[in-house]
Amino acid sequence: MTHTLNRRGLEKDRPGEEICVLCMIHHKNKNEKSSKAMRELVKTIIRYEPNNLIGRPLGVSNEDIVGLCGAAGVATAVFTDKDAVRKLVQEIKAKGFGLSGISVVLSGLFSDIRDVCEYAGLTEHTSNYPVGIYGKTSLLPDYITLEIATQCGHGLVSRHYIKDVVRRISKGRLTAQEGAELLSKPCVCGIVNKKRTEEILLKMVEQSPFVEGNEVNYAVRRKRKFS
Amino acid sequence: MFIDQDVCEKCLDCRTVCPVGAIQIAETKFVHHFSFQVVIDYETCVECDVCRRLSICPQGAIKQVDEIPYPRILRAAFSDPMFRHASTAVLGRGTEEMKTNDVKNEFTKDNVGFSVEVGRPGVAAYFRDLEKVTKKIVALGGDFASYNPVIALMKDKSTGALKEEVLNEKVLSAIAEFIMPRQSALNVLAELIPFINTELKETVATISLIARNEDDGEHSFLRKLEAHGKNHGYIPYLNGKVNIGIAAVKGGNS
Repeated sequence: MTHTLNRRGLEKDRPGEEICVLCMIHHKNKNEKSSKAMRELVKTIIRYEPNNLIGRPLGVSNEDIVGLCGAAGVATAVFTDKDAVRKLVQEIKAKGFGLSGISVVLSGLFSDIRDVCEYAGLTEHTSNYPVGIYGKTSLLPDYITLEIATQCGHGLVSRHYIKDVVRRISKGRLTAQEGAELLSKPCVCGIVNKKRTEEILLKMVEQSPFVEGNEVNYAVRRKRKFS
Repeated sequence: MFIDQDVCEKCLDCRTVCPVGAIQIAETKFVHHFSFQVVIDYETCVECDVCRRLSICPQGAIKQVDEIPYPRILRAAFSDPMFRHASTAVLGRGTEEMKTNDVKNEFTKDNVGFSVEVGRPGVAAYFRDLEKVTKKIVALGGDFASYNPVIALMKDKSTGALKEEVLNEKVLSAIAEFIMPRQSALNVLAELIPFINTELKETVATISLIARNEDDGEHSFLRKLEAHGKNHGYIPYLNGKVNIGIAAVKGGNS
């Protein structure tokens, strides 16, 4: 379950653009006490207004998300405000959720995570480092599509759906915000960053052959396709 | 998964949501006309349930059979994150790996964890692709992570061979996780990358490594990876995943 790993498109010159928060109870420590602590922790996460949260793509209410995360022993969310994550982690530490056996994992730029840890008086314990994609990489979509598709580590956001949403935005049938909302739905873990996705979609629309004035791009694409 | 032809109105709204492009048009040609049906290609579908869960069909034409038979059920087990693996009790297709390492301390300063996820991102893979990797891991002397659903697919853990009946099952991705001594980790990586580039002819795989940070949080292993990558043609990402040691604070098992 490396599902918040391998996200593409994060850059050092855009710090704080996103941080995923994952909280998990070690399977041997699952009991009523740790479940209760998880429920409290999820309420705390919700208070800091994440951009997306586990269960939200399925339309689950906050109250039910709290209960489900307590039962499952896992919670995931994505934030677009580093300061909120700093304060959240500080509160998690102050309230002693870790003493109930809950582990917290942050995903994002290592430099952002360092900032959060320093603010909360913590040090990074164990890290997971992606080193790339190998094999028949010609099967991959283009990089900008991967910037959206890799936000769901389970691979549920289809490249074809992304292309379709871009087309619909280009034709004025959807706004980029609505498009981002649609693309966040397949990811049940709630870790698609809708704000970042919206910005990527706008970039993709700029290059779309369906936008008036972009015929040159279309011609280039046709040429590439048949050459 | 299948589309009920008595209900489908052929609006095609469902076609693009499938991560593996399994929703297809089946044409039938007649002398003066042709007709078509929207179908889910049985071989291509990985049973991830996205098409049904999204409720994209206003008619409810996308349906699941009452019971997916074995070994096809493995497609759902490795592709649908809502499916809980009986072998791990964890939602998803991997393990807790480093996410709870501040409790269990499986990864120490003497070892490094590897994960090779075949099929990711968004390409999908057959278990026969995974078997190439698991056999290679055995050849490299890797110690497979316990509680990984891939272990339950193995016919022989000592060779990495998987059960014959699962080899042609296709999944969104499957993760081989193993541990190596830290001193040999970079050599293993140097051997693994060209192996995957050469042997995975039908799919892709992501590789990631897990290492304990220093006591002050410093990413000393990442610095080693960066230096090693310069000579072996890879660049570690600027982003990744960090267990921040909350459970190791005050009376934890650090």
